[in-house]
Amino acid sequence: MSSLAKQERLAVLRASIANIERRPVLSEPSSAPDHGTDQFIVPAPGLVQEVFADERRNTAALLGFALGQARGLLTPVRRAVIYLQMLAEAQEMGLPYGPGLASFGFDPDALVLIRPANMIELLWAVEEALACGAVAAVIADIAGHPKVLDFTASRRLSLRADAGGTSLFLLRYGAWREASAAQLRWHLTPALSATTQFDARAPGETRWRARLERGVIGDRQNQEWLLEWTENGFQIVDDRRGRPAGPVERPALPGALFADLADRLSEAG
Amino acid sequence: MRLAAVDRLAGAQKLYIGQNLADARAMVPDLTAREIDQPLLEAAFGIFADWHSNASPLVAVMSDMNAYGDLVLDITGVSHLFGSELAMLRMLVLRLRQLGYAADGAVASSIGAAWAASHFAPNRVVAADQTGSLLDGLSVAALRLLPMQIAGLTQMGLKQIGQLRGRDRKGLQARFGASLIMRIDQAYGYLEERMTPRLPVAERYAERKFPDPIGLMDDVLMTTHDLGIQLGIRLESEGLGAQAFHLFLYRVDHKVMTLSVNAGSPTRDPDHIARLFANRAERLQGEYDAGFGIDMIRLAASSVAPLEPSQLGAFSRGDDTDLGRLYDRMSSRLGTLSVVRSAFVDTHIPERAVRLEPVIARSIDNPAALPDPEQPRPLRLLPMPELVGITAEVPDGPPMAMTWRRVSYRFVKAQGPERLNAEWWRSGQRLVLVPPATPQELEELKKLGKTPPYIPNVPLFYTWNAVRDYYVAEDAGGRRFWLFRLGIYGVAPNPTWYLHGFFS
Repeated sequence: MSSLAKQERLAVLRASIANIERRPVLSEPSSAPDHGTDQFIVPAPGLVQEVFADERRNTAALLGFALGQARGLLTPVRRAVIYLQMLAEAQEMGLPYGPGLASFGFDPDALVLIRPANMIELLWAVEEALACGAVAAVIADIAGHPKVLDFTASRRLSLRADAGGTSLFLLRYGAWREASAAQLRWHLTPALSATTQFDARAPGETRWRARLERGVIGDRQNQEWLLEWTENGFQIVDDRRGRPAGPVERPALPGALFADLADRLSEAG
Repeated sequence: MRLAAVDRLAGAQKLYIGQNLADARAMVPDLTAREIDQPLLEAAFGIFADWHSNASPLVAVMSDMNAYGDLVLDITGVSHLFGSELAMLRMLVLRLRQLGYAADGAVASSIGAAWAASHFAPNRVVAADQTGSLLDGLSVAALRLLPMQIAGLTQMGLKQIGQLRGRDRKGLQARFGASLIMRIDQAYGYLEERMTPRLPVAERYAERKFPDPIGLMDDVLMTTHDLGIQLGIRLESEGLGAQAFHLFLYRVDHKVMTLSVNAGSPTRDPDHIARLFANRAERLQGEYDAGFGIDMIRLAASSVAPLEPSQLGAFSRGDDTDLGRLYDRMSSRLGTLSVVRSAFVDTHIPERAVRLEPVIARSIDNPAALPDPEQPRPLRLLPMPELVGITAEVPDGPPMAMTWRRVSYRFVKAQGPERLNAEWWRSGQRLVLVPPATPQELEELKKLGKTPPYIPNVPLFYTWNAVRDYYVAEDAGGRRFWLFRLGIYGVAPNPTWYLHGFFS
């Protein structure tokens, strides 16, 4: 058994024991470090991620980043993404717009909007949604620095997310960082979009500059990426060259599987 | 000013309802008169009527004669629970008298006969075959007639109902109006009379009475769960599920509190129902007032629909994988309109292309309205476009700089325009709330000395004033905005720019 398979097996066992004991697992992103590819490693489900922007006017960039990750978490069982925003903030920040979701590449039918009147109800709804096994991700827009969302509350949410395996994205604004139990914290700034092929003056694919302020993905820590949103998902852009890194040559099937298949074919033959 | 109600003491002084206040004061100099608050009394009587639904589910206020004071209960199939009709009548009247009200009642086979008996021969049960003989001997006033009709009949010597029976109906109708005939028929039961129950009628309900009143919300919710089990068994045996549940809390001080919850799909699961009510109760924390306690709780189900029995797997996780239930719970706590999804509307006007509809009342998608993913549309849309200051080349150049919320932006990239035309079929029209008066009507109004309805001078709607040219503009920081110019240079008086959304 390779060390990778062993690790995965251990993680599964640990999760099942935790399920029996109803105790949260020590969260470790289970996705293996993957070197040498241009794909952005999407964090594992069941984490609380705080996504910070410096200003409120960057709100759409945060939503795009969270939705991009949430799209990868949708499965036939986990078929909904819940977005929460306080009722009073719709005009300030804008509401997620169905046709816009479609042009972004996200199925508008999978997104349900929750518009609570106050922060206590919002946190209640987040917790309730995290406990549901049919929800892929919860995205909560938190405009200010509410008192009720303290360390205890965020710890509570992270335990819930861990137990249910549902991801939580907290969209936050400003330079102030409170103590929180989020496993990952991003600092996101929108970047000038990619150049388009035919019209140099037109905006191209969305780009973000994302810095991982806290937590580890794979073995990366405190790293900054320039990400581009393509129809296939996130892509890392090489900062110096300013364009997506080229695809890496690799065999169509992993070697082990290929050999296994050949063995069976020869047995059948 | 006239007397609207008199108490027993005043009645002994020969004061009567409808008497002039000045006359009454002349007869009784130390009279205490208070102005009557009709709406308050009506509302209070309504609450009082609701309380009587602990005796029979069908309770109505009869407002034919008075706006309040007459209560109708349909006791079909109920009286045996109290022993007999007479025992029920006695119980209902006595409990009112114990509260200090002067109350009389009667049981009869028609509403008209019951009213007549309760006012003119009170506190008896009139069997169906005795109705005729009882009514024959009563005064015509027992027919719920107008004062004018009673006066006319009395003048003609027709003082008892029995005297009207043999008369020529056509003649009576010609003289006293069709309502007299109708009232006679209603009293004798020839004509069916209906009542409108005040509370929603639910055929399926479970209830529990308490020997000692309870007050805590937790107790109420626990009882709700127990009642939910009873109701669930009943619904299951009929193969039904319900989408609306109502909880009636009967307070000792004769008030009824109602709580209602809705589910997105039919259900009969007591745990789910109890949770919905718990969430709903959370929302009314401040308004919940048990008064002196609650002595009866009734859980009723409505909007029933067939629900096939389903088998639960031994190891299924059940509740927590069901999205519908999650939405039910959220709607019950946050309100139905706070849990919404985007429903698409077949229009090209961006803000109208999406309607936020409650998840638990979802409509069928219109396939023609689904958005085209190729069109550039923003991820976030401002519900109201915001006016911005824009520097752009006249007439058709893309925006170069913007001032929005007192911050200025310089754009380095822009794409557009995407022209969204206004609805041409509304061109040349304006918003009209009242149709303008014709010249003849105006003259008539002048004769009467009235002013014609005010019609504001709203400008006519022309498409070139409302054409929108949409641009995607990006500033040096990578923020992308969806902007539009309302109107066309040279045609519209003064085109203005608006910010409508943000791209990711």
